[in-house]
Amino acid sequence: MKKYTLHVSGTHCASCKILVEDVLGEQDFLKNIRVDLKKEIIEFETENQKSESEILNIFNSKLNGNGYVFSLEKKIQNTNGDTVIWTALPLGIFVLVMFFILQKSGVLNFGIGGNVTPLTSFIIGLVASVSSCLVIVGGLVLSLSVKVSEDKISDTKNFIFFHASRLLSFALLGGVLGILGSALGVNFTFTNILGIIASIVMIGLGLHLTGIFKRNRITLPVSLFNFFRKVEHKTFTPIILGFSTFFLPCGFTQSMQVVALGSGSFISGALIMFAFSLGTMPVLAFLSFGSASFAHSKHAPLFFKTAGIVVIGFGLFAFLSGLASLGVINPLFNI
Amino acid sequence: MSKTILGIITFGLVVALVVIFVNGSKKGDGTMENSVIKDGIQYITINAKGGYYPLRSIAKAGIPTKLVMKTNGSFDCSSSLLIRSLNYQKILPQRGEEIIDIGIPKAGEPFTGMCSMGMYNFSIEFI
Repeated sequence: MKKYTLHVSGTHCASCKILVEDVLGEQDFLKNIRVDLKKEIIEFETENQKSESEILNIFNSKLNGNGYVFSLEKKIQNTNGDTVIWTALPLGIFVLVMFFILQKSGVLNFGIGGNVTPLTSFIIGLVASVSSCLVIVGGLVLSLSVKVSEDKISDTKNFIFFHASRLLSFALLGGVLGILGSALGVNFTFTNILGIIASIVMIGLGLHLTGIFKRNRITLPVSLFNFFRKVEHKTFTPIILGFSTFFLPCGFTQSMQVVALGSGSFISGALIMFAFSLGTMPVLAFLSFGSASFAHSKHAPLFFKTAGIVVIGFGLFAFLSGLASLGVINPLFNI
Repeated sequence: MSKTILGIITFGLVVALVVIFVNGSKKGDGTMENSVIKDGIQYITINAKGGYYPLRSIAKAGIPTKLVMKTNGSFDCSSSLLIRSLNYQKILPQRGEEIIDIGIPKAGEPFTGMCSMGMYNFSIEFI
C-alpha cells in the first residue's frame, strides 16, 4: 500500500468532493480516497504499480468532463489570477463609463413620430437594446451566458433556445395584448420585483466570475447545488428565461406593450412585439454568442473577470434603481 | 503593464464614473417657470422624454394642483410614470399630454415622480 497526494482544481463546492470521491471510488485499485477542498488536494492509497502520471491520466479521463483537473504540481493559477483581475478591473469599469456616457449623451432620445408600425417598433427595439434596458436584460443575458460557457454546457443549443423562445413569447404575448385591449395592465411593482431578483442574480454571478470569493468560497449545501446543476442542464430553462424577459422592467418594452394593447387585433399586436424583440436581438445575440467564443479563447480568464465587473456594475445600478422605484429608498441618481 | 499603472487607470475611471452619477443627480435650484394658475387651478408642466425636465420644480402649496405630463415621441422609460405617493402608475401616450390630479398639496410635503425602472426622477417642492 502506498499513499499518494495529487492536486485537483475545479472543486468549487461540497458536492464536488462527494462526486469526485464517488467516481474514483468505483476504481477497485484505489483505497481511502479523500478530497481536501481547502488545500485542493486528493489523497488515496493504492497497491497498484501504476506510475503517478498513469494514475493522473485515469483520473483526468474520468473527471475532466465535469470540470475537474488533476495535476502533480499545484497550478500556479492563483498568482496569475491576481494580475488578470488588475487588468479586468479597469477594462470592466471602462465599459461601464462608456455605457453611462452613452446614456447621458441623449443620442438615444430621438423621438419617433406617427403611428407605430412593425418597422418603427424594430427601430425602437434597436435603440432599447443599447439603452438602460441593457442593464437588466443584457446584464442577465451576459452573466448567464458566461456562466453557461464557463460550465462547458452545450452553449449554442441553450442560446438558440433562449433567443427563439424570446422572439416567440414576445409575438405570442403581444398578440394576446392585442386581443385583450386595455383589459390587462402589467403591474409596475411586479416587474420591479422581478428586476430586483434579476439584479441579485447578476451581482452574485458577477462576484463568482471575478473570482473574488474564490479563496473563501461559500459552499452551497449539496442538495441546493444539485438543484442548480440540474436546472442549468434542463432544456426548459433557457425557454422560460426567454419568456420571462417580457416582464423584466424596461421602459421601452412597457411602451411597446401599450402600443400592442391599442393595436386591436392578435396579428397586429403580435407583429409589433415580434418586430420589437427582433430589434433587440442583434445586441443580445452578440452578448451570448460573443461570450461563448471569448470563453473558448485564450483570453478566457480576462474575459470572465471583465464580464464579472461589468455585470456587478449593472447589477448594482439595477438594484438601486429597483429599490427607488419600489419606494424603499430615495432615488440616488438620475441617469 | 504594471499593477501601479493599472491601479491609477482604475482610479481615474472610478472618478469618471462618480462624476457621471453625481452630475446626473444634481437637481439645481428648481424653477417656478413651469407652473401656471388658471381658474384657480395650478398646472405644473413636466416634459417626459429621455428623463424628466425640469428635474426640480417649485410650486405653490394649498391650491388645487394638476400635473401636466408632456410627451413627444417618448418610448423610453420616462414614458412609464410612477408616483408612489399617489399610488399612480401609467404608461403615458407616446405623444401628447396627460393630466394628473394631485389634489391640494401641503407646504413642505415632498413630491417625487419617477419612471418605472427608477433611474429617471423628478421632484416638486411646494412652498
